Amino acid sequence: MAKKKTRTRRPEVMPRVHQPEKAVVYILGDSPMVEEYIVLCSSHGYAVAYDAEGIGAVDASLARKTAKMPENVSFALELTNIDLEKKRKNLEALDKALPVTTAIVSSSVTVSATEQSSWIHHKSRLVGFCSLPTLSTASLVEVAPTVFSPAETIQVVQRFFKSVGKEIELVQDRVGMVFPRIVCQIINEAAFVLQEEVASPQDIDLAMKLGANFPFGPIEWADKLGMQQVYAVLSALHRDLGEERYRISPLLRQMALSGSWWKRM
Amino acid sequence: MVKHLGIVGAGTMGAAIAQLAALAGIDVVLYDINDTVLRQALERLKRSLNKAVEIGELTAEQSTDAFTRIHPRTRLIDLSHSDIVIEAVIEDLRIKKDLFKHLEAGTKPTTILASNTSSLSVTAIASATHRPEKVVGLHFLYPVEIVKIVEVARTEETSEETLQRCRDFLNQLGKTVISVTDSPGFIFNRIVHPFHSEALQILGEHVADAEQIDRIMKSEGGFPFGPFESLDIVGLDVSLNTTKALFESSSGDSRFRPHPIQKRMVESGHLGKKSGRGFYTYEEGKK
Repeated sequence: MAKKKTRTRRPEVMPRVHQPEKAVVYILGDSPMVEEYIVLCSSHGYAVAYDAEGIGAVDASLARKTAKMPENVSFALELTNIDLEKKRKNLEALDKALPVTTAIVSSSVTVSATEQSSWIHHKSRLVGFCSLPTLSTASLVEVAPTVFSPAETIQVVQRFFKSVGKEIELVQDRVGMVFPRIVCQIINEAAFVLQEEVASPQDIDLAMKLGANFPFGPIEWADKLGMQQVYAVLSALHRDLGEERYRISPLLRQMALSGSWWKRM
Repeated sequence: MVKHLGIVGAGTMGAAIAQLAALAGIDVVLYDINDTVLRQALERLKRSLNKAVEIGELTAEQSTDAFTRIHPRTRLIDLSHSDIVIEAVIEDLRIKKDLFKHLEAGTKPTTILASNTSSLSVTAIASATHRPEKVVGLHFLYPVEIVKIVEVARTEETSEETLQRCRDFLNQLGKTVISVTDSPGFIFNRIVHPFHSEALQILGEHVADAEQIDRIMKSEGGFPFGPFESLDIVGLDVSLNTTKALFESSSGDSRFRPHPIQKRMVESGHLGKKSGRGFYTYEEGKK
């Protein structure tokens, strides 16, 4: 099976598992979360392998890119929020290749963890969590167990997040979770304001930072999270809850699809 | 430069704007129809100015100067010399329109007539006058002395000259101008709304409890406070009124629909910090 030719000339067989003291985390998903989690995990002592397209340059000393699932994966992270077909394929592949006991922690911002667990055979290994760009630096992470998640899986996930310096908050498994849902609705409202030409992007950000002590303005936030991610969250909320209040600003949709900020003609 | 400011309504907002302007060296005529309200406002102003001296924010001289610049009056005609008149009376369109009609008659033609409304249409208020180009919304936020921004709401008719004079005036007061078109909730109330409203929605669906949501918004989102802590401070009744006004003025847009949880809490008298109980319980003002 091992096609890779070892370059070593030494006759003795080296152990297959290099750096056995390091647990291996395997990461799949959207940019830029993959890069963020590579940095987070490797800086906390994990050996990191990943497979993702469209990812910026990753320092080879931090992580190894491999389409073939490495052995001894102790933990898998699936971070896709946008392309849910791709997410499904990723999860199916992980479920097939990983030992039954290996936990999969999967972003459940745009599709519930429960729905995701219906895509795989070993449902008890999957737990949802909140992954959005820039949130990997926050001290807290929302975790959403499913009805299939036994206490052991939740403990494994808790231990993992603790090991990378994060507290967890257990929330019900619902699309949008807590922070993404609130912040994306704030951004959506700001997009309606822009669309109606009620105020400039600069004044919107200034008003909310100086007036309401928001840490960032809605426009700044959209830039940090990425408009496509914001659009994916809002679309998921609209799809899942079917309520008029989650109607997406047409301007926001255009900005997500065109990848650029609106300019007044 | 604004030298003479008129303020109509000596309630919390009116008095706070008066103090701010007086401290910026502007002469203020503070008008209220009710003599008792006016006297109470002056007492509050005096206390507030004295306190600023005690904590070293102002010298005794600055405080006295500011106080003597505020002239309490009960006749509208005393506002006649004002460069700008700011109306801060009850949020009732009929009362405001009637007032603006009188203000138009009782002030010089160059006087800017501003409304501190946060929920009514400035356009509708302006329609009561024959000088809509001089009518503008100046939305000061509570607490006036702390919040740095003022929303300047222009109608279709508001002139550029009026807007420029308002911007200069707000610079005199040390405020940052947020320019908005006259529309429901302007932008501040409108964009703060989902912070509270979506949190209530999440709470209502039992995705997480109030404390968890607050913790997540602070630790994950970097907010200095959670949505429920914020609602408790603002007051659930105050926030409900703002939401109701947004809902009505947007012709019932479902994004602005008041949440049943909030309604029920207001009905039961749990108004937040000021009543000792909201989403949290408070003893002597502390959680």
